[in-house]
Amino acid sequence: MLWIALHLPLLSLESFAATLTGEQAQSPLALVDAHHIATVNPAARALGVEPGQKRATALALAPDLLIGQADAARDAAALTAIAHAALAFTPSVCLQPSHDPSRGADTVLLEVRASLRYFGGPTKLLQRLRAAVMPLGHRVHAASAPTPLGAALLARGPRRVHAGDAAEMQRALDGTPVWLLGPGREHWEALQGMGLATLADLRRLPRSGLARRFGQAMLADLDRAYGERPDPRVPITLPPQFESRLELFARADSTEQVLHAAGLLLARLAAWLAAQHAFVRGFVLAMQHEPRWRSDAQVPAQTLLSVSLAEPSRDPAHLQVLLRERLAQLQLPAPTLELRLAAREIVPGEAPSGELFPSAASEREGLVRLVERLQARLGAEHVQRLQAVHDHRPECASATLPVDAARVGQRGASVVVPPAPLRPVWLLAPPEPLPERAAQPLLAGRALQLLSGPERIEAGWWDHALAERDYFIAEDAEGALVWIYRARRPDDGATGWFLHGRFA
Amino acid sequence: MDLVPAAAFGVASGVAPSVVPVPAPAEAPRRAAVRRAPEELHPALWLGHQLGRPRGDGVASGFAALDAQLPGGGWPRRTLTELLLPHPGVGELRLLAPSLAAAQRGGRLVMLFDPPAQLSAWALAQLGLDVEQLLVVQTRTRVLPGSDSLWAFEQALRSGHVGALVAWLPPRLRAERLRRLQLAAQAHDGAAFVLRETAAAQRPSAAPLRLALRAAGPDMLALRVLKRRGPPLESPITLALPPVLSDAARQRRRAERVLPAPALSVATFVDLG
Repeated sequence: MLWIALHLPLLSLESFAATLTGEQAQSPLALVDAHHIATVNPAARALGVEPGQKRATALALAPDLLIGQADAARDAAALTAIAHAALAFTPSVCLQPSHDPSRGADTVLLEVRASLRYFGGPTKLLQRLRAAVMPLGHRVHAASAPTPLGAALLARGPRRVHAGDAAEMQRALDGTPVWLLGPGREHWEALQGMGLATLADLRRLPRSGLARRFGQAMLADLDRAYGERPDPRVPITLPPQFESRLELFARADSTEQVLHAAGLLLARLAAWLAAQHAFVRGFVLAMQHEPRWRSDAQVPAQTLLSVSLAEPSRDPAHLQVLLRERLAQLQLPAPTLELRLAAREIVPGEAPSGELFPSAASEREGLVRLVERLQARLGAEHVQRLQAVHDHRPECASATLPVDAARVGQRGASVVVPPAPLRPVWLLAPPEPLPERAAQPLLAGRALQLLSGPERIEAGWWDHALAERDYFIAEDAEGALVWIYRARRPDDGATGWFLHGRFA
Repeated sequence: MDLVPAAAFGVASGVAPSVVPVPAPAEAPRRAAVRRAPEELHPALWLGHQLGRPRGDGVASGFAALDAQLPGGGWPRRTLTELLLPHPGVGELRLLAPSLAAAQRGGRLVMLFDPPAQLSAWALAQLGLDVEQLLVVQTRTRVLPGSDSLWAFEQALRSGHVGALVAWLPPRLRAERLRRLQLAAQAHDGAAFVLRETAAAQRPSAAPLRLALRAAGPDMLALRVLKRRGPPLESPITLALPPVLSDAARQRRRAERVLPAPALSVATFVDLG
């Protein structure tokens, strides 16, 4: 087993900064939890703001300090995105709780032994892993070790090494500070007083005494880290649908501000797609509007922006370009506070093709897929096939039927083609009445020359669509041939000449 | 693929004419060796040192006079061919029918997008098309936001599984949308025709082959080559289409004896000439 640990030392601060605009993220930031400063960024630290201070103290030190509320759900969503990105490399990914019991998980663990060969060794795998999590915008400390807890401790520690075997891991762990162990943190001062600084110091002491003084849990963790006790892990599973939300710190008035935050959601979508080995053909960005504005009846609760792609993709840069185009055309009816991104149409990644040239079977399969896609979007009745019907009336002689996707490309019984006369391909429905001058029909104000005819068609008395017509082939002024008829029975209200077809 | 008769190229050996390789000039002495090349296995194969694509790559149009003027000896594959018509019904389908029917004989499907009027199945069958191997896609009957008509056509082009495509494009189409279609057409191994209004001739287009069609009398079609990969063609090509008129009617037309519009009472005598 080889575990890679990805530790996010600034997880909560970075997930807060993602809800801010670009320049705000550079200003002094602090997160408060229960009225005390929990985390600060370097700009705030330079002004003297320290974790543990009261909110009022911090504001006195730095009046323009941006203070956000620590949000465990927000941190968890950000960490889940990192875990999804890691799932593209191995199926066994799990989350490691923080060593500080008051905080949530802050480390992602991956078991990569089985993936090493495919990705070309641990160094290359780690490079690709870093590239995969980079768009999510977190600082990542990585370390690897044969045990999951060992890897997590190394990633959190000052010396982040990549230990390939147990001996190397033991040497690295020996130098790890003892306060990184989760259980037993409450005895931190006692341990310090006893001169126990590293895990090696701890392991030199008799186990029974340690267990009595500091609890069994600390000893168990120590054993798990060194691989002396089994440490089974339950891998996380990927949700079948993607939906992610982001609450903005300040309301976004313009679509550019929305785009900045939506970029993070798109990066999360891309990570999820990579883990799913799939591509997306469309996504919906819902922009929730501020309730104060919503009281105005004109303003909807949310604005939906749906983007669809011709070619499925999971490239966040490409998706962001598309979103920018669409956002640029959009006018927000009210400021937005919360963004929600959902993938609409997921396309499984193409299985590698086993054939060099397309065969008849793969061609037919591709055709069926194409027809299904057209039917899905246009409606089944708009993808049609033609059928020749035995009827003398031209308008009844062909029928359009919705096509059955499963039968596409299969040859049916061939139509027995009657000999001449040749029929026009285009039929006008309904026939176009033609004006008349000196008993000559006119088309677009010019006289038609009758070249052939009449051909009498008299049919349909049985279904109340009686047609009694004399058809002629005529030449229009430009030389094209048209098919016209004269209605023989004026009693149904339609008399005179009609243009019924064009010979294409 | 091999719709061009072998005699037209004077190739007596068993090599199909559509796959005669074009060697680089320096490689000319080695021509005999190249002759037994992998193109014989599949038209998509060629050797790295060959210049360009095999000659005679086009889909034969069925009209020798037209094939002689088209680069590649027929309708080009993997690109759009633009036909500009004053109105539907100048003989465009009689012009396209031989190449569409050839695609169907090869076991592939023909798709028509947004035909301008109702199609007559019998007339298509008379032109040699198999209506079972024909799909009609109506994209403008439903009012949808966006560009569904071009979406469907683009999907069909991109899939590469369709034998031949004919699309009637909406008027006043922007050039960049046509360029998008032209890019999609690169995946389509067959002829793809877009039919547009004559006024589009004034505007630039990404299609490498553009023809303006005009009726030149009954059963005659005049084609003006607006753009092709090659030298410009001054005079229009006049093609004789499969006749609609009977011989007798044509002779009468030539003699300028036009039928008078018969009075209603006389029409009982049917002259099927």
